[in-house]
Amino acid sequence: MRRWIRTWGLFAFLLSASLILAFASRGSRAQEQPPSPLVTGTIQDSQDQPVEGATVQLGAEAEGEALAEAVTQSNGRYALPAPQDLPDNLFVQISRAHFEEDVVALSAADIQNLRNGESVVVGITTLPRRITPAFWIAALIFVAMLVLIATGTLHNTLAALLGASLVFFVSYLGEPLMEDLFIFGFDRALQYVDWNVIFLIMGMMIVIAVVERTGIFQWLAYMAYRLSGGRLWLLLPILMIVTGVASALLDNVTTMLLMTPITIQISLALGINPLALLMPEVMASNVVGISTLIGTPTNILIGSFADISFNDFLVNLTPGVVLAMIGLVLYSEFVYRKEILAPGKGEISPLLLEKLEERAQITQPGHLRKAAVVGTGMILLFVFGERIHLLPAVTAIMGATALLVWIRPDIEEMIEAVDWTTLVFFITLFIVVGGIQEVGLISLVATGIGDLVGENLILAMFVVTWFSAVLSTVIANIPFTAAMLPVVGYLTATIPGAGNKVLFYCLSVGSAMGGNGSLIGASANMVTAGIAERAGQPITYLYFIKKGFPALILTVALAMVWLLIRFLVLAG
Amino acid sequence: MGKILCATRGGAASRASQDAAIALAQERGDELIFLYVVDISFLNQTAAPLVVDVESRLEKMGRFQLAMAQERAAAQGISAGALVRRGQLRAELLAAARETEADLVLLGHPVGTEAVFDEAAIQSLATSLARESGVKVRVV
Repeated sequence: MRRWIRTWGLFAFLLSASLILAFASRGSRAQEQPPSPLVTGTIQDSQDQPVEGATVQLGAEAEGEALAEAVTQSNGRYALPAPQDLPDNLFVQISRAHFEEDVVALSAADIQNLRNGESVVVGITTLPRRITPAFWIAALIFVAMLVLIATGTLHNTLAALLGASLVFFVSYLGEPLMEDLFIFGFDRALQYVDWNVIFLIMGMMIVIAVVERTGIFQWLAYMAYRLSGGRLWLLLPILMIVTGVASALLDNVTTMLLMTPITIQISLALGINPLALLMPEVMASNVVGISTLIGTPTNILIGSFADISFNDFLVNLTPGVVLAMIGLVLYSEFVYRKEILAPGKGEISPLLLEKLEERAQITQPGHLRKAAVVGTGMILLFVFGERIHLLPAVTAIMGATALLVWIRPDIEEMIEAVDWTTLVFFITLFIVVGGIQEVGLISLVATGIGDLVGENLILAMFVVTWFSAVLSTVIANIPFTAAMLPVVGYLTATIPGAGNKVLFYCLSVGSAMGGNGSLIGASANMVTAGIAERAGQPITYLYFIKKGFPALILTVALAMVWLLIRFLVLAG
Repeated sequence: MGKILCATRGGAASRASQDAAIALAQERGDELIFLYVVDISFLNQTAAPLVVDVESRLEKMGRFQLAMAQERAAAQGISAGALVRRGQLRAELLAAARETEADLVLLGHPVGTEAVFDEAAIQSLATSLARESGVKVRVV
């Protein structure tokens, strides 16, 4: 009985569904009419960038209501269906928040064409920007966020979250009072969030959490000591190279969190000032991190925005990084010569050596082997994935999943290992930066730099690199880079010869190596100083500037030399 | 026999206070315990992902620092104990003084211009610690 009901019930359902679909189809065919002629066009800003979300209305002078309405797409295009009965006067009215309104009148010939059923192309309309109160408020919120981060008044995530909340507060609660207070709505804000960046960082966090627990980095640092045989002039470059290579694969902060405690132990055991090893290490981390897409958060931002692949970073930046690193090693040997060449240094007591060895054990060899297999696979996918349009974020998520499935760690522990506050920081940072982009501040800065450099690519390279390097010494480089991306995008689009994305590499070099100029220039510096202070070896602001700023000049100059060779000489 | 609790970070500046603690333990015939406090509040300022178990790493570093202090004490014929605690310095110092039933807590004078604390901060810490714990606190 039940089987009968199921069979006939299914039959009845399929029959009725077919009938409904058939009638619906007939109905829609009956309603089909010949397509209306269209009025199409493109809206762009004064920098020739498409304007999305502009409201375009087709109107007639005699009538107050719009005959048709459309919203521009991401490419700035719109298409308005023309009604059957057309008046003698027609115009296209364009409006959008933060832009001047514009009206384009259609000619008599255009109107006749529409009557004949032919579409009309209005062409490109350039909307001038309008400085509204929202412009100043968005700019103020962005600057306040940078100040809160730089002074350490609020946690970075809290500062960015506060900034994003204020943007929405002003947009939603301010607009009813004054229309010009509107910055953007929630839907529009979400369009500024780069989810590729968020997922890439999240995936890499899981991978790093697994690898970190194996003890590999402590073992590497200890092996550096063994390899040097206690010769400090040799230990210094080995530790710098280990730190640099780790920074190219992990983010700089993670690398320094892993390397700093063991380096302090090695240096104290050897009887030398830990800063003689820590400072070169953190500077190496800031320099070498940019040789890969995943080495720094700034590269992740740049790669995603400018569509620069893992390979591109490797090919176009690594030789410059190697050059800068050679300079940095020689500089560090010179600056710390008194420490590393002093007689009697480098000897270690048997008890401390035993304790060092104890701490430098690989704790999970099985996990390390599996992580090595998955890590190799991930690097291969990062390198070759672009051929099949595989996004780095997808590779990171797949690698993290493979590792979790294979190793089966405590999943709660792994979920806790993901630093959610950092992800919230990036999401809210994108919204705050989106706010200043929306109101036109970024365009204004881009136009200013564009006017300064004109069409001179070499000048643009110098300006972007050194401007980023110097500003990165006082401004957190992640929000700075996020704000600079559209500016560099504009310069890339307008300066002849910049299409090879050289200016994005300049931004990468400047924002990362600029971190060496001051203690607050990079998060890696701050965590290194924090741990050193806990070991009774404080790194003061002045000390960092004295040792780091000359290193900034040297490494940025050397990397710049490579960029000029790579993009101007070798590229012909 | 009394107990001396000596808070130390293990840097070059701490060696003077370690030596003073060792000398005092010898003189009074007291038991000596070195204390290291793992405080990771500095990580609140970073924007980069924190996936490393920093507390464990710093605890290992602290134990190493204390092992060095113990080695210095052993060289002068004193067998010193070591204690590592996680949390804020002031609170953990107070808790350690109570738990170990110390008779005397030693803090180090700031040395040089790059010291972590200034003199006023150390004196203020010593005063509040003595008041709250009832234990004698000396800055050496």
